Amino acid sequence: MTDIGLGGRTRLDRDRLLRLLQDYGVHLGVAVLLLVNIAFTPHFLSAENFRTQAVQVAPVMIVALGMALAIGSEGVDLSVGSVMALSTSLLSLYLGYGMWIALLVAVLGGIAVGVANGALIAYIGVQPIVATLALMVAGRGLALVLLPQLKDVRDPTMASLGSGDLLGIPYLVLIAVGLALLVAFVVRRTTFGRQLLAIGDSRPAAKLAGLPVRRVLILVYVCSGALAAIAGVLATARLTASDPTSLGNLMELSAITAVVVGGTPLSGGRVRIGGTVAGAVLIQLLTATLIKHDVSPSWTQIAQAVVIILAVYAARERGRR
Amino acid sequence: MPVTGPAVLSVSGLGKSFPGVRALDGVDFTARAGEVHALIGENGAGKSTLIKVLTGVYRPSDGVVRYDGSAVRFATPLQAQHAGISTIYQEVNLVPLMSVARNLFLGREPRGRLGLIDFRRMHREADEALRGLGVRVDVRRPLRELGVGAQQMVALARAVSVDARVVVMDEPTSSLEPREVATLFEVIRMLRGRGIAVIYVSHRLDELYEVCDTVTVLRDGKAVHTGPIAELDRLRLVSLMLGRDIGDVREEGLTKFSGSHDTEAQPVLEATELTVRHQLAGVSLTIRPGEVVGLGGLLGSGRSETAKAIAGALPPDSGRVVVAGVPVRTGSTPAAIRAGVSLLPEDRKAEGIVPGLSVRENIALAALPGLSRFGLVDEARIDRVVDTFMKRLRIKASGPHQKVGELSGGNQQKVLLARWLAMNPKVLLLDEPTRGIDVGAKAEVQKLIDELADDGLGVLLISSDTEELIEGSDRVVVLKDGKVVEELTGDAVTEDRLMRAIAAAPAARDTPAASGGDDD
Amino acid sequence: MKPNTFFRRISDRTSGHAAGRASGRVSATTLLAAGLAASLALTATGCAKSEDDDSGASGDSKSGASEGDAGQVASSPSAGADTCVIGDYGAKKLDLKSATVGFSQSEKEANPFRIAETASIKAEADKRGVKLLTANAQSQFSKQISDVQDLIAKGADLLVIAPLNSDGWEPVLRQAKAKHIPIVTIDRKINAAPCKDYVSFIGSDFVEQGRRAADRMIAATGGKGEVAILLGAAGNNVTTDRTKGFEQQIEKKAPDLKVVFKQTGEFAREKGQQVTEQLIQSKPGIDGIYAENDEMGLGAVGALKGAGKKAGDVKIVTIDGTKNAVRGIVDGWIDGVIESNPRFGPLAFQTLDTFTKGGEVAQDIVIEDSAYTKDNADSDLGKAY
Repeated sequence: MTDIGLGGRTRLDRDRLLRLLQDYGVHLGVAVLLLVNIAFTPHFLSAENFRTQAVQVAPVMIVALGMALAIGSEGVDLSVGSVMALSTSLLSLYLGYGMWIALLVAVLGGIAVGVANGALIAYIGVQPIVATLALMVAGRGLALVLLPQLKDVRDPTMASLGSGDLLGIPYLVLIAVGLALLVAFVVRRTTFGRQLLAIGDSRPAAKLAGLPVRRVLILVYVCSGALAAIAGVLATARLTASDPTSLGNLMELSAITAVVVGGTPLSGGRVRIGGTVAGAVLIQLLTATLIKHDVSPSWTQIAQAVVIILAVYAARERGRR
Repeated sequence: MPVTGPAVLSVSGLGKSFPGVRALDGVDFTARAGEVHALIGENGAGKSTLIKVLTGVYRPSDGVVRYDGSAVRFATPLQAQHAGISTIYQEVNLVPLMSVARNLFLGREPRGRLGLIDFRRMHREADEALRGLGVRVDVRRPLRELGVGAQQMVALARAVSVDARVVVMDEPTSSLEPREVATLFEVIRMLRGRGIAVIYVSHRLDELYEVCDTVTVLRDGKAVHTGPIAELDRLRLVSLMLGRDIGDVREEGLTKFSGSHDTEAQPVLEATELTVRHQLAGVSLTIRPGEVVGLGGLLGSGRSETAKAIAGALPPDSGRVVVAGVPVRTGSTPAAIRAGVSLLPEDRKAEGIVPGLSVRENIALAALPGLSRFGLVDEARIDRVVDTFMKRLRIKASGPHQKVGELSGGNQQKVLLARWLAMNPKVLLLDEPTRGIDVGAKAEVQKLIDELADDGLGVLLISSDTEELIEGSDRVVVLKDGKVVEELTGDAVTEDRLMRAIAAAPAARDTPAASGGDDD
Repeated sequence: MKPNTFFRRISDRTSGHAAGRASGRVSATTLLAAGLAASLALTATGCAKSEDDDSGASGDSKSGASEGDAGQVASSPSAGADTCVIGDYGAKKLDLKSATVGFSQSEKEANPFRIAETASIKAEADKRGVKLLTANAQSQFSKQISDVQDLIAKGADLLVIAPLNSDGWEPVLRQAKAKHIPIVTIDRKINAAPCKDYVSFIGSDFVEQGRRAADRMIAATGGKGEVAILLGAAGNNVTTDRTKGFEQQIEKKAPDLKVVFKQTGEFAREKGQQVTEQLIQSKPGIDGIYAENDEMGLGAVGALKGAGKKAGDVKIVTIDGTKNAVRGIVDGWIDGVIESNPRFGPLAFQTLDTFTKGGEVAQDIVIEDSAYTKDNADSDLGKAY
């Protein structure tokens, strides 16, 4: 504020640069990582490798889509990892009826957790971080009650869902891309999407404008729960085993990271689906790079932390203006 | 009651600027020992800025603060506190989970051997201190278990017990029961007796006359009057606050309002006996189609609360709202909106606009379900609506996709008007529609209000600008302490009458002392 | 513009707009949420139908210790080691057959190891006709302490404890001492004086397991080439010991075998699979993978299958001895599984028997873990847990 007089122009340029960096920094990061890997990682430029990265990132990306909605509504959903575990337990339990029924039950489970999250937040007024933390604990517990230990999945449909492809593109990747397009469409073109952004940006104004704040919030967490459940089913298909003890562990953190790195502000009012997808890819590439070069696992965590700090720093700059 | 004590805390030539605003401009103010000094003024007059400078929250842009005769500069509120300036804010700022006694002695606990807190002594002294103020509570209980009034008393006891020489009270009675107010006044008189300077901020005129010795009136960042309150009658006080001289010749046509509207039709809005604890005490009013009804009164008289209660944003404890003959569920914004009631809130930035969204999204926000098919937004229809209203209301923006947060205040207000007009409302509640917007935009908004009433809308207009209120309204309902005290109609809609109504002494208000005995 | 969402939320709520109205709905919504969870649990199990229900293969996932003779054999009460006799401990001789034994399990029986461990204790007690009291601490240490105190109160004469933690046992030990109850700890040690606070510890040597895995890897690869290690969870002594033993042995016995990749799979199948996928992309010529538990090894198998490799292309050695892994040997994907034997029943009761009769028992009993290879996997599949 003090340097308005001197060099207004350089300030303007800096502002614009900063804004560009906030909006496209994550894409830049992906590009840089790709170039670095092409230059230094052996066997990186192969279809097989890209396929591996895409398949690995698919579940994280799907969860991150739901997380982006929650964060856009000025909330957060910590229960996504547990919903994945619950989903895999339900799937295993109902697989006897065939994959489609089991899948339906698993997604219904995710929706039920979403309704519980949304009801706590919208009706009782519990803070999202607290409400979803409660469901995070309860969801994992329920998953383990339903299926106490890892169980193999032998259903051939599930196996082909996990490892099959269409024209060389794995089903997992196709589903993830399809869901990303769907969520982007919902955010941009539906009443729900618009109301969600308004509620996230200014809850008091949205209330006074007569928006159905509670209904929208519940729907947000239902979407997040359903997406996490789908991610759980896909992860199960890929592993050909239901492992509620470890599936989805720390998934909430990966998803939040993808969303934040992708330029969606934690203060709500904005949802960037393209950025979220790129954010998930960035984290995946970063992890892959470090693993491929056999860097000690603790460094992988530190590198992720650095990326998050950079992203949050950029967001903070935005907030100050 | 002659005040002869020496000056304890004074400022001279005090100025404070914020980016784009001159909040204080050459203010002189002196608080003397053994004096209760009222500080009054309407919104934006500079009261809270002055208090914040006095208590070390803000540093002045220019001018001098003198404490005990020497110039001082408090870097933090804590420094001011240690120097002997205690503040009691409207909202109690203590630690709710700690015990009453801990709160009283926070930061200066009596220590025993080994530097440990001497709890017995602390509890005993806390008990004595509170008894001295007529409060009997278990000082070991957490503060939050106490009622708001009792908490306020604890804050007061704390302020008094730190050997304060100046006590600043910012609207201390806003959440107190009459009995508690009586106790508070006794304490204030006791403080005065001890030679402490009390600076008392309140909007309740009756209280000022009851307990204060001196009054300073602030308006637009300047001290426009200082003197013994006994020498100032209520009407004069109100006219000083509002900046309108009673003797002024009223100049017609200063505002863009055209005059009266049709007032014969059946009421489009009937609000009956709206009651909200501590805020509204049974407000009733009616609005006919094509009529602009002004809501007058000082700050804190319940104007905004009345509008919010009608619009469903403030759930009333009791009372009814009927729109066009149909009762509306109270306490529900969507229900009120469906019935055709729209509110333009006073705090435009926090409760009106959605700053991060575009002009287009803001205008379409409330009408969105009607502009959608199967949950999918009909972009073409939105474009048409937005285009229509941007033209009709002459909204100046770089385009429909500019963020509302980047617009000027006047244009933000027009965007909000457009949002509601897109809903075809029956009643518009406008809370300070022209505050903080520039002169040109102000005239435009005033003209718009006129046009809307001509189109048959019922309008409720709240404004601190008496000129705007008088010229814009067909009728003015005057509120005081959450009650309707007078309704001005026809030729009686004048500034003179308005100020007399606001200044009128209470007719038969229960004296605090009289109502105190019932409970015990 | 919005520096702190959470604090703002708090102040929104305390300002009282919503609070008054919300309270009426609190109970209803809480009920709704609780009801949802409960009904979900009910319906989920009520009409569930998993794959096993109609596949007829249900028998092999829940195997008890009764199958096969896979009880443990002590490998190291070797000469010169510290021993304990009943006189030193201060207990009275008794006949195990008429005694009551209390068993306290530490973790939820949610993994094959714990399931087999408890089953083994129960089976051995049945076999010997001993009255057994059991408790499970569900991975909560405070519960384990009260569990053991309960067992003592219910009249246990002897205790077998699988401790969750090594520290914090003083109150229980004092109580047991007062009643002269002999204690044997299994699979984890407790920090106290042997033959004073407790009699013996029976457990595996994780470093030795790593060494034996290295031997297997050397045999499978011919002692040449490049191998990768899938580490367990970081900061876990099992991980450090199994890594130490493996690396020391490779260095000593097969200097031509190079460890070129060490990444954590966190003892989980999914992580093991993901890390292996990255590994075979960047190092397609890898010769062997040492997985520090079976689950990660199975994940590695999944990754290799997905990458179109054939069984035997990459040699895999794992540790634990679960049924799935041993079946992997039969299928040709895994080359060796070093067992970490969970069947403490026979050895624990044997130790108690000898001790209560007045015999001499070792203070540290390291069990001998067997191993599965191509030669015995098929025939010993029943022994795997």
